[in-house]
Amino acid sequence: MIDTRNTGEQMHTSPRPAETWVHEVLEPGQLSTAKQPFGRRRLSRSTLLLLWGLRTYVLLMVLLIAFQIWNALHAGG
Amino acid sequence: MSQTPIELDTVGADITTEDVKRARDRQRVQINRTWKGRGRSFRLLWLLIGPGILVMVGENDGPSMISYATTGATYGIGFFLPFIALTFAMAFVVQEMTVRLGAATKRGHAELIYTRFGRFWGFFAMADLVIGNLLTLVTEFIAVRAGLGFFGVPPALAVLGAFLVVVAAVLTRRYWTWERIVLSFAAFNLVFVPVAILAHPVSSQVVRAFFTWGPLPGGVTAGFVLLIMSNIGATVTPWMLFFQQSAVVDKGLTTADIRQGRIDTALGAVLAATAAIATVLATTPLFLHHITASNFQGADFAQALIPYVGQVGATLFAIGIFEAGLVAALTISSSSAYAFGEVTGRSHSLNSSLREGWPFYAVLVTAAGIAAILVLIPNAPLVFIVLIVNVIATLAMPPAIVFLLLLVNDHEIMGKHANGRLSNIFGITVTVLLVLAGILFGITTIFPHLLPS
Repeated sequence: MIDTRNTGEQMHTSPRPAETWVHEVLEPGQLSTAKQPFGRRRLSRSTLLLLWGLRTYVLLMVLLIAFQIWNALHAGG
Repeated sequence: MSQTPIELDTVGADITTEDVKRARDRQRVQINRTWKGRGRSFRLLWLLIGPGILVMVGENDGPSMISYATTGATYGIGFFLPFIALTFAMAFVVQEMTVRLGAATKRGHAELIYTRFGRFWGFFAMADLVIGNLLTLVTEFIAVRAGLGFFGVPPALAVLGAFLVVVAAVLTRRYWTWERIVLSFAAFNLVFVPVAILAHPVSSQVVRAFFTWGPLPGGVTAGFVLLIMSNIGATVTPWMLFFQQSAVVDKGLTTADIRQGRIDTALGAVLAATAAIATVLATTPLFLHHITASNFQGADFAQALIPYVGQVGATLFAIGIFEAGLVAALTISSSSAYAFGEVTGRSHSLNSSLREGWPFYAVLVTAAGIAAILVLIPNAPLVFIVLIVNVIATLAMPPAIVFLLLLVNDHEIMGKHANGRLSNIFGITVTVLLVLAGILFGITTIFPHLLPS
């Protein structure tokens, strides 16, 4: 390893296999091919209720927006 | 910066070009961490900033700047100045959680929702994102068209030019380069500051507005509620969660970088809030001279401001609108592509080679392309669309924040970086405020005569 100019940065001078260098620099979870999926989380009844409530809220609001758009187009037309 | 001896053609089966490019970026960070020289903190911050500034300034997009301009032209200096600052504080609370999530799990937001909550809930989250992103992308190209229209650029040429910039930026196939290109564009968001200065706002009124949250001319009306929703939607939206977490992962931030990630996000919030408030101040002369701006497009604002801020101010305003649309088109199209790749398990990185990441790049370019084509449909009602897009974003936000809070409180994946009590209080407060704003909007829509028009 050599020091480059006055920046304190170093660079490799000896050729090494890419794999070794990448494995040294990156954390295991950062490797694109080595990621293990997390397991499925069990949702409690209250969490499910909350998610359904919010989903219902979004659907109702989308209907309201559609209603408002229809009104605006009707008024404009 | 440092030269690396690793040639991409030496990449083996165990690693990809994406890994090699990310390793180069991480090596620079690691070298700076061990470096003892002057300016170490600044250099480290320079290497690690990006996702936070991009997401905050990216959300100062076409619809957002039009919303702020409409706010200034409708209400002048008063309630909305501190309100906008509050919305960016809310945005910081929410976005800071995505930094920790990305750094701790090394996974994107869409991937985490799918793996932790299953396909059923993942589908809903993705539906919100895809629909919201497509609509928003359309308005970004409208902003590009409007901004360049001020200079006489034909709409088709303006839209095509912006689309080509999106394509050219991703063809660098390097996250770092893409990020720095978009950051350099994003710097132009601050052109609204000189426009505000040229509008000669009364400083005592500005200071008073922040302390008194007033005045509010006309009181609480249906239009006020719509602008409240638009201004919230201009700062806190679902794509921001997906984009910043994916960008944090793509950039390669680790738990050691969370502090810099927070500074990056805070810096982005301050810059974006400054530009947003400046836009309100810039269009305040329209309010003072009783000029109705409810049907103004981006270029119309610039034209109408000429008597008050001069040709230079109007030109800067038009550049700002163009920049807002372009930066958001770059960031939002990438958030769609990140989510697609994370959900399908395909390569999802701006560091990917074209061979490895062609579906990712194809989604990114296609999303931008569809929006660009839709924009060229004649007689699109711009102001209505941009206000509604932000309203939709506000309405879709509560479920998105709940998923975020569930993930960031998940000790199994977050470990010691899970939310503390204070973060949860702030997060839940933001969610409640958004739901209340949505309910207020719903009530005023169902009962339009409840409030004065």
